[in-house]
Amino acid sequence: MFSRIIALLIRYKNISFGSFPRLISIFYWPSVQILFWGFFTNFLISNNSYSGLGILNIILSAVILWDILFRGQLGLTMSFLEEIWSRNLTNLFISPIKEFELVISLIFISLIRTIIGLTPAIFIANYFFDFHLFQLGFFLIFFFFNLIVVGWSIGFLVSSLVLRYGHAFEELAWAIIFVLLPFSCVYYPLESLPPVMQKISLVFPPAHIFESMREILINDLIRYDLLINILFLNLFYLISSIIFFLKIISISRKKGLLINQGE
Amino acid sequence: MNNYFINVVNLIKNFDDQPVIKNISFNVKKNSIVGILGKNGAGKTTLLGMLLGLITPTKGDVYIFGKNLKSNKEEILSEVNFQSPYVDLPKKMTVEQNLFFYSRLYGVKNFNKVIDTLVNDLKINNLLKKNYGSLSAGQKTKINLCKALLNKPKLLLLDEPTASLDPETSIFIRKYLLEYQKKNSSSILITSHNLNEVQAMCSNIILLKSGEIVSQGNIKQILKNYNYKTLIELFLSEG
Repeated sequence: MFSRIIALLIRYKNISFGSFPRLISIFYWPSVQILFWGFFTNFLISNNSYSGLGILNIILSAVILWDILFRGQLGLTMSFLEEIWSRNLTNLFISPIKEFELVISLIFISLIRTIIGLTPAIFIANYFFDFHLFQLGFFLIFFFFNLIVVGWSIGFLVSSLVLRYGHAFEELAWAIIFVLLPFSCVYYPLESLPPVMQKISLVFPPAHIFESMREILINDLIRYDLLINILFLNLFYLISSIIFFLKIISISRKKGLLINQGE
Repeated sequence: MNNYFINVVNLIKNFDDQPVIKNISFNVKKNSIVGILGKNGAGKTTLLGMLLGLITPTKGDVYIFGKNLKSNKEEILSEVNFQSPYVDLPKKMTVEQNLFFYSRLYGVKNFNKVIDTLVNDLKINNLLKKNYGSLSAGQKTKINLCKALLNKPKLLLLDEPTASLDPETSIFIRKYLLEYQKKNSSSILITSHNLNEVQAMCSNIILLKSGEIVSQGNIKQILKNYNYKTLIELFLSEG
């Protein structure tokens, strides 16, 4: 089992880090986002004398945490789509690999890509803006894993839809996250949303995560009710999305979709 | 069942209620080379897909090495392999990375040595460091064949094994496959539109027409029974 998972991880490493443009794209966007939001927030602070709440810390924490979700989803989806694009699904599924081994490999490569992609952004934020993400302490790890789990859940959903319905759904890999963004309360509190949107937001884990983050950074308060919600919602979505992914593979076998899938 | 590598029993496949494979049964003996023939749409690819566990049958069973494919997939697939010009390897990896990847996936022991021997035998040493995506169709066919032999399969399924190859390389590959089959006492199943190739390599054939087997058995015997001289004549009349 481990040799097959390692084989897949090496394969995804070769795809992700094998070419210079791809490697750059992993680092580039998180770092640019940090620079953009950092300078913009500095400008706002200098013009409004509004620095009492550590607004820079709140915004940069939000940017980095949101990017964990985005990178996590993209890392998983892109790795799977690469198998479809390179017409390699047939070879993969006629090998002795088990479907759960593919699931584990996709999760691991997403984790590795996300950590590698975000590390420079965290250093840039620290160097240019004296920003300390680790101010969140233990909860940084908690938020990191819960946000990346949201990314994985969305990644399995998108991968399943592309496998089942074809290339028309590929756009979802980039777009779906922006459907979730307004409901995630990344840059504003939940109460600033209209009541209907608040109800929808609470169905998804990110709103709970970003509310928790603000409570810690602004009020130094740990909201255990939110943390429990995060855990339960994430568990539900991750398990559901993996079951959905496996079900779609089974349907694909029935419909003959695993042969000759590709560009 | 032990004398056979493949037992197909009352296999049916419908796609959206359209029958593609219509209740077929056949056996493939150990240590044999069998050709699957049929026009486009006869059901060859669907049949291969079901033998590889890629397509779930609507009804019926596939037994490979005497074991039901449905319940022993991982064990069976570790001793089976497949090559087709219509199935690529990852394009953004070098040939060497691809061969390493599949060796690990199949759990090949001492894979460096195995790859070394295969690339020497198939005369593809000069391609190892090249990106798979940059190769010509003929070079890809050879690399795909190399990948298909990595786990020294007891059962090898080949879809158009010499497609895109020049005549000299085609003859070389055919000879190589025949030697491989003899040396390893394996069975090979070939689908091909190149009937001369099938006649040169296979002892038996299965002729499919609209998802049904219209003829199967020893080539010489079938030609004698139907009073044809060549497979082409048989194919044009019965296929």
